[in-house]
Order: sequence, then C-alpha cells, then structure tokens
Amino acid sequence: MDYSLEVQQRFHSPQGAGEIAEGTPGLATGEAEDRTLNVWIRVQVQIVGTVIRSVRFRVFGCPHMLAAAGWVAEALQGRERNALRELDMHEIRKTLDAPLEKLGKLLVLEDALQACWRAHDVPAQGQKGI
Amino acid sequence: MTKRTVYLDYAATTPVDPVVAAAMRECLEPDGNFANPSSSHSVGQRARRRVEEARAQIAARVGVPAETISFTSGATESDNLAIQGVLLAHRDRGRHLITSRTEHKAVLDTAEAMEKQGFEVTYLSGDSEGLITPDQVADAIKDDTTLVAIMHVNNETGVVQDIAAIGECCRSREVLLHVDAAQSIGKVPVPLDQWAVDLVALTAHKAYGPKGIGALYVRPGTKLAPLLHGGQQEGGVRPGTLATHQIVGMGQAYELADAEREAPALAALRDRLWAGLSAIEGVRLNGHPTQRSPHVLNVAFPGVDGESLRLGIAEIAVSAGAACNSTAAEASHVLSALGLSDALAGSSQRFSVGRFTDTAEIDYVVERVTAEVARLRELAGGAPAWCVT
Repeated sequence: MDYSLEVQQRFHSPQGAGEIAEGTPGLATGEAEDRTLNVWIRVQVQIVGTVIRSVRFRVFGCPHMLAAAGWVAEALQGRERNALRELDMHEIRKTLDAPLEKLGKLLVLEDALQACWRAHDVPAQGQKGI
Repeated sequence: MTKRTVYLDYAATTPVDPVVAAAMRECLEPDGNFANPSSSHSVGQRARRRVEEARAQIAARVGVPAETISFTSGATESDNLAIQGVLLAHRDRGRHLITSRTEHKAVLDTAEAMEKQGFEVTYLSGDSEGLITPDQVADAIKDDTTLVAIMHVNNETGVVQDIAAIGECCRSREVLLHVDAAQSIGKVPVPLDQWAVDLVALTAHKAYGPKGIGALYVRPGTKLAPLLHGGQQEGGVRPGTLATHQIVGMGQAYELADAEREAPALAALRDRLWAGLSAIEGVRLNGHPTQRSPHVLNVAFPGVDGESLRLGIAEIAVSAGAACNSTAAEASHVLSALGLSDALAGSSQRFSVGRFTDTAEIDYVVERVTAEVARLRELAGGAPAWCVT
C-alpha cells in the first residue's frame, strides 16, 4: 500500500502518543474499538475550563489510524472542548490522503473522541471538573 | 542503525538467476533461438530443440518422462487447467471435488467457480498446524469423487503435506490427485516417480526463473479437457505459440534448483531468523514446527497490527498474513483455517529466504523487527486482550 508523506511522517513520529497521568484535573478518557476492523484507540484529554490543554492517545491499528490520532491530537490542542465532537473524519481522511476503505477505522477514532466529550460532560455539570 | 534494503519475500517471487537470464537472452536476439518453435524451417526447429531440452530439464527435476510436461503461463493456469480440465472431462463419472481450506486462491477460487457450475466441493480443514491427513481425505471420498486437489508446500506457512500418503489413499480409491507444487522446487524434493499423483502444477518464478511461465505434469492416460482452443501445441491441452525464452528460462532454472543442495542453507537462515525473532515476548510460529519447507517462516506478533509493522520495517520486503487494505481487516484464509483469531492472523508476517539471502541480512531483520514490535506495542499500551490473543 502507498502511504502519503504525511501518514509516513506521523506514523514514524507520532505526536501525542502516550498518557496523561491519572488524577490530572480536567482529565477525560474515551475509548472505542471495532474488532472486525482490528482497531482499538484510547484518547485522553485534559480540559481546563472549556479549553483542551493536552491530548494523548494509545492506538492498536494500522498506519492511517496512528497518523490520524496524531493529527487529531495536534489539531485539538487549544481548541474548545466541543471540537471533540466536531472534527470531520471525512476531511481528515482527505488531509491524510487515506484510501476510502480506511474511513471505517477513522470513524472508530471519532467514536473515541465522542466518548471523551461525554466523559467530560459529567464533571462539567459540577461533579469533579475544574 | 543504517537502513538497508532486504528482500525476504522469496515465496512471493524470486529474482531471475543470472545464469537463467543469460539462457533466456540467447532466445530473444536476432542471432539466437527466437523463432516460433512450431515452424518447420531450420530456425524454428532450432528453437523447438531448445524447448524440448527445457522440457527434459523440468521433467528430470521431478523424475518423470518429458512428454508428461505441458507448458502453461504459470501455476495459476496449471491449477485451473487441472481442476477444470479433470472435472469437465469426468463429469459423467462424478461431480465431486475435495480440496483443503489452506490451498492457494488459484485452487480455491477455481473450486468455487466449479461449484457455481453445479459441482460439489468438500473443503477439508487441517489441524492447528495445517496438516491434512490421508484419513481425512479417505473419509471425504465419495462414490462420485473424481478429483482431490491438495498443495505440497503451503505458500503462507511453508507446511509440507504428505503427498506420498495422500496419493496412495487416492489411488486406492481410484480418485485422481492434483498437487500444486509451486513453492516446492529447489526447496523440497518433488519425486513424482515415487508419488501416486496424476497432475502437478509447477511454476518458474518461485525458483529463480521468469514470471509468466509454468507447467502442468499430466500422468499418461489422464483425461483432461482443455480450457483454451486454437492450436495443437502441447498436444492440444494448452494451445498457443510457445514462449521459447520463457520455457528455456524455466528449464535452466529447474536444472539449477536442486533441493538437496540448497535446502540446508535455506533452513539455516530460516532457523537463525526464528532464533532471533522468538526472543520477542509472545511471538508464535504459524504452521508445523518440523514438517515445513526450509524457506518460509510465518510468525504472529501479538499486540501488533501487521500493516503497521510492515510500514515500520518498510525497507524489509516481507508479506502479510492478511489483506489489510480491504474494508474489513480480512484475515488470511490460511491462518484462519489454522484457528488464529483475526487479530493474531493480522499481526502475522511471512518471511521467506532464498538463494541470495545472507546471515547479515537475517541479523539486521531480527534487530529491526524487534525494535519496531517494541515501539508499536508501546503505542498500543493498555489495549484490550482481544488485540493480543
């Protein structure tokens, strides 16, 4: 399979790979998987007020998933928390020049981001957020 | 570490040996044996002699008379010709084919096509190491079975089937046996004079010959319906102008391909590779630990996506155990038949060594794969159990 330069660079040097320490204030974690596609991803975000301060991820998946996770981690930094549910995977696929058949995997990433947003929604209602 | 290109995909195809290339070139140029070997003039007859010499070289490699070898475009065509040709020629006697789930697609897709034409196919499942036993074959044979198609060396795992025993079983039940031996030549002996087989598919490009040429061994007296019509070449079984240079290349390649001479070196390289890779936590060997060809090593790397591993070691040419670019991560049908989960099958890589592989390359591959597996596992830290089992 041919990979775009951006996918290759992000695959070999993934920005945002790793974890945010448990107990970090404003931490929200979202996980998603699709066993039929052999994909699992966990996204962690730290949200201060309504702004995303940092993003980290763990991925089991193909190079496009790794590249997309890195791209998303970079894109979300400093954005309003609602960006977690507003990123368009169709656009990200085009940006990475990923083949159409990879869209299903990228939608798993979207699921993880949505789960993150929901996870943060609870503290945002006054339980344990900052 | 300085990256270097390493080719470990000899089971997919091999480079043409320089000796073979020289023999082929002699058949392409104006002062060489370029003429149509079916022409009656002296230039054509010279080419004919080269074709017949090549036929004899191929026949000698597998221990059969030269006249039992017919040239085709490769093993895929040979498999098609054998399966379709036998089933169609014997359809008044029976309409049942037996094959296995771990066959090459050239056999499986042909079997499926015959099912659509009303033939019945039984697909045998081997054991967890990929072996088909003669008893399994015997149990599956019915009154209307006309053909059994079992490959010799599996192209993904390198597992070697006991064709001698399966052949005896088929012969005792008066059922024809077709064997795909595309991977065998130069790695594992193919003593057709000692086997009770009726048809055998052969190819050149897995044995340092050119692509686009293969052969079908047909035991004398075996009824076979041709797939193509248009001439009397190859006894009418496979019409079409003979590709002299390709045939000469295949003959030369088969003359060089001495399994007894080459296998020990291949096995040493494969074992060195496995010794290095098996130090990686959790890796498993796919296929049979001993009943296998010396050139193939298929390894599962739990917790690692196979496509990512291949990109991570992109300077090393290896093959997938799975087709990773499909909509669903389609697992290798061979590894699935061995009982591997989609995740394990998807993590698997086929390494195949060859005549031009050296130990420095093997050591480099071990080092690079070990590092990349560690990196990808770190990136997938905390992944659920299904990713690693």
